[in-house]
Amino acid sequence: VEILDAKTREKLCFLDKVEPQATIAEIKNLFTKTQGKSLKDEDVLQKLPVGTTATLYFRDLGAQISWVTVFLTEYAGPLFIYLLFYFRVPFIYGHKYDFTSSRHSVVHLACICHSFHYVKRLLETLFVHRFSHGTMPLRNIFKNCTYYWGFAAWMAYYINHPLYTPPTYGAQQVKLALAIFVICQLGNFSIHMALRDLRPAGSKTRKIPYPTKNPFTWLFLLVSCPNYTYEVGSWIGFAIMTQCLPVALFSLVGFTQMTIWAKGKHRSYLKEFRDYPPLRMPIVPFLL
Amino acid sequence: MAAVAATAAPKGNGGGGGRAGPSEGSGTRRKKGPGPLATAYLVIYNVVMTAGWLVIAVGLVRAYLAKGSYHSLYYSIEKPLKFFQTGALLEILHCAIGIVPSSVVLTSFQVMSRVFLIWAVTHSVKEVQTEDSVLLFVTAWTITEIIRYSFYTFSLLNHLPYLIKWARYTLFIVLYPMGVSGELLTIYAALPFVRQAGLYSISLPNKYNFSFDYYAFLILIMISYIPLFPQLYFHMIHQRRKVLCHTEEHKKFE
Repeated sequence: VEILDAKTREKLCFLDKVEPQATIAEIKNLFTKTQGKSLKDEDVLQKLPVGTTATLYFRDLGAQISWVTVFLTEYAGPLFIYLLFYFRVPFIYGHKYDFTSSRHSVVHLACICHSFHYVKRLLETLFVHRFSHGTMPLRNIFKNCTYYWGFAAWMAYYINHPLYTPPTYGAQQVKLALAIFVICQLGNFSIHMALRDLRPAGSKTRKIPYPTKNPFTWLFLLVSCPNYTYEVGSWIGFAIMTQCLPVALFSLVGFTQMTIWAKGKHRSYLKEFRDYPPLRMPIVPFLL
Repeated sequence: MAAVAATAAPKGNGGGGGRAGPSEGSGTRRKKGPGPLATAYLVIYNVVMTAGWLVIAVGLVRAYLAKGSYHSLYYSIEKPLKFFQTGALLEILHCAIGIVPSSVVLTSFQVMSRVFLIWAVTHSVKEVQTEDSVLLFVTAWTITEIIRYSFYTFSLLNHLPYLIKWARYTLFIVLYPMGVSGELLTIYAALPFVRQAGLYSISLPNKYNFSFDYYAFLILIMISYIPLFPQLYFHMIHQRRKVLCHTEEHKKFE
């Protein structure tokens, strides 16, 4: 069966070995499978729906950079930059404050939490995550680093400022916020481990994630991307801990981006798996 | 190192939705215009806006004739200017719901910058309202908008006089720099008053651990004109070449 474009008369596809009893629907199916979506590295030539002559179209994706490189760069920045502000390196605050230390305990706690968060991310990038794609477009590294590094500097400036005001409700507020932060960090890590265990090393298989024995993973019952849920939770905890508006704004922007990603992931799960649990929402249980 | 992706057949568009009949295939689907209800609404919107900016134009002329000078004319058109320029926010909505094919981001940017100048600069800093630079940008905006909204009106009715098309794609050459100059001079004039009054600024310490310096913000805005203005200006020049030369070609074959 030869399929031509109705307008240009270009040969679009040549379907080999089509049964005479095949319905138009089946032929359409064979045809649409070859449209638009890129082939995978693992695809075998013989199994493709092409005739005796296969025409492959190559698309140049432009300059690329590996995901690992991007992640390491964008996470190392905030770790380092925050510390510059914490230690009050010269030329940031007035000279009389150079290398001084804050008198508020919450400022020291915040530095530990922020640093822990990014060290965790760096270690996960090196040892935990299994990436579907090797690379992304090069321009992404500039965009991403501006976002992470910029916000890190903005937050760190205020939290470590000599005129910083500690939380209104004092130690109570800080304790609650710390609890939220720690729970969400553990949760986020648990999800990353669970997702890693779904996929054998070196493979790119995709399966529906399910709750495991670890209680933190039970959030999978309600949400497709609990890693994002926990991540937003961590930053909300950090915002409450520091009572700093730039942190709240960073959490909001992050939440917006992660919601977009979660919705996309949720949609692909629904498309790929017929038996996908219907109770699950993308990122916020029951709501979003 | 360039990466490549492989597809086994040319990228199709329109998906698998076409009927596999003898005369049709799953070919490209053309972009649909707004439906009849949306078109009617847009015509009304654009007519109202054209009328509004005409009111502002007439108001300026009458005030000039009455006063005998072109100073401090802002007060005579302050209300319609605020009303109709702020009303343009609806255009963002039009793009968002898809009845106008422009980009939401680009439209938001353009409308917000106008609204910012009207409310956050001219309205907020009363001392600049008597500046001549205000007349400079108000005049540029008024002429531009009258032409732009009538252009849209006629386009929607599929009856665009060449004069309007020509005006839209030619007068900007003078009006755009005129408007930008008026805007920059006005922001510049506002600076000392903003500094003095600490307008819209918050400083440390405060319980939200946040600070904002409106004076510095205005300076950043002024600096941002440097990369943005040439880009937009040359984009319009490029559009002019495409649109006006295309019409010339059409005329040749008639």
